[in-house]
Amino acid sequence: VRERADEIEEAAVRWLWRIDREGRSPALDAALEAWLDGDSRRRGAFLHAEATWSVLDRAAQLDAVETPSAAASKPSRRVMLGLGGAVLAASAAGLAFLGLRQQRYDTKLGEIRRVSLDDGSTMALNTHSAVRIEMTSQQRMVKLAEGEAWFQVAKNRERPFVVEAGRVRVRAVGTAFSVRRLEGGAEILVTEGVVEAWREDAEGHRARLVAGDKAFIANDAGITEAAAKPSEIDRRLAWRSGQIDLAGETLGEAVEEFNRYNIRKLVVADAALTQERLYGVFRTDDPEGFARSVRLSIGAPVVLGETEIRIGASS
Amino acid sequence: MAESLTVMDGGRRKIVAWVGTHVMPHESAVRAWLRRSHVSADDIDDLIQEAYCKLAGLETIDHVVSADGYFFQIVRNLLLEQMRRSRVVQFETVAEMDGLAAASDAPSPERATGARRELEKVRKLIDALPERCRSIFVLRKIEGVSQREIAERLGVNESTVENDGVKGMRLIMQALREDEARFGASENTGKSRARTRRRD
Repeated sequence: VRERADEIEEAAVRWLWRIDREGRSPALDAALEAWLDGDSRRRGAFLHAEATWSVLDRAAQLDAVETPSAAASKPSRRVMLGLGGAVLAASAAGLAFLGLRQQRYDTKLGEIRRVSLDDGSTMALNTHSAVRIEMTSQQRMVKLAEGEAWFQVAKNRERPFVVEAGRVRVRAVGTAFSVRRLEGGAEILVTEGVVEAWREDAEGHRARLVAGDKAFIANDAGITEAAAKPSEIDRRLAWRSGQIDLAGETLGEAVEEFNRYNIRKLVVADAALTQERLYGVFRTDDPEGFARSVRLSIGAPVVLGETEIRIGASS
Repeated sequence: MAESLTVMDGGRRKIVAWVGTHVMPHESAVRAWLRRSHVSADDIDDLIQEAYCKLAGLETIDHVVSADGYFFQIVRNLLLEQMRRSRVVQFETVAEMDGLAAASDAPSPERATGARRELEKVRKLIDALPERCRSIFVLRKIEGVSQREIAERLGVNESTVENDGVKGMRLIMQALREDEARFGASENTGKSRARTRRRD
């Protein structure tokens, strides 16, 4: 007997509640995939259910933003980001001389900030980062002094948009990409369009990067390019919405990522655990929630301390 | 509690959000159009699920100019395919469908600006749920309480929380798809209604 559409819908919705309760795990993913493979309509029903779930989340957010009492008792991430923005706007120094408009933005540990630039571009500034922006009639220059930023660049052929990260340069006309300063160089992820990247004293050797590319440019060596899956770029830039998105990263990598955002550090006390691979989407400011789900998924003991969270029993 | 419910990567998350905000608001209009094209209720449900399945298979949505037009095209193609298979080709219907698809390709500013109104509508639907369903939605979605803790607070077991959660969500899905009036849904399909009636 052909399964009825309403039976499929019921099962799809039930899957979502189960995932919400148990969290993701390879076993659950496998069971879900098996179910989805049974009938093409199931994939449709599941997407429809997920979409409804996301709409419900957004509808619930209406209250979080609008009801002052609700916001006060449990500040949502959006509200907190909003306040951070106000403080930052006040500290952004603007000066104008000789047609040069210069502005500075920085973020504290754990702070993530979106800024509209004067030329119509948008910038998202990740945790513990600093940029200086210099707009002239010929060029839009962004100096990334520290950290990581993503740019959605407004098109303007006359005024190229150049990011300077140490000795690394990235040039765009109208496109979207991120630059992160790392030990010894900078990493570039391109989300839209095309950018050119080079090292300051090697202008002749420019790498042309297109959407979906990532590259690492060393301060004193060559350019390492690689094509990434679009999904990987999106995951790596999940910080723009205050999230860390893991799809098989090791515990060691995940801990390093969380520690970029929090004073309360995650520590892996049992070295044998660092290679465990993890899946899931977490808030950058919730290392405790992450540690709890590590406890559930790999069965490691977790000690929640004031200044640090220890994962795994120390030997 | 912190991890999201989703089994998906970033690209897929974008598609899910887009389906929720740009496609679902149009589903009721597409269903109404299918009814007027004399498609049976069961076939409509199947077609809609198949259409969502096509969307689930997308790698990206960057090429989609108008979500509602795109969704309509998918449903229309699925219906054509089904009609070819069943060899009951109603040329008038096909011609009419072509005209409609072209008309609904144009982006509608009214739909684009209706997103907030849409969310407010969903809020009202949550408020209108049966009491225990509503409590579960408020606790889970607004206050972020885990299912286990909801069960403790309400003094029921976790399977009851799941059952009521499933029930509540399906009630909302049903209300959304039956609500033909959303965004004053279809001037386009309104014309089709008149034509269909004349033909009858």
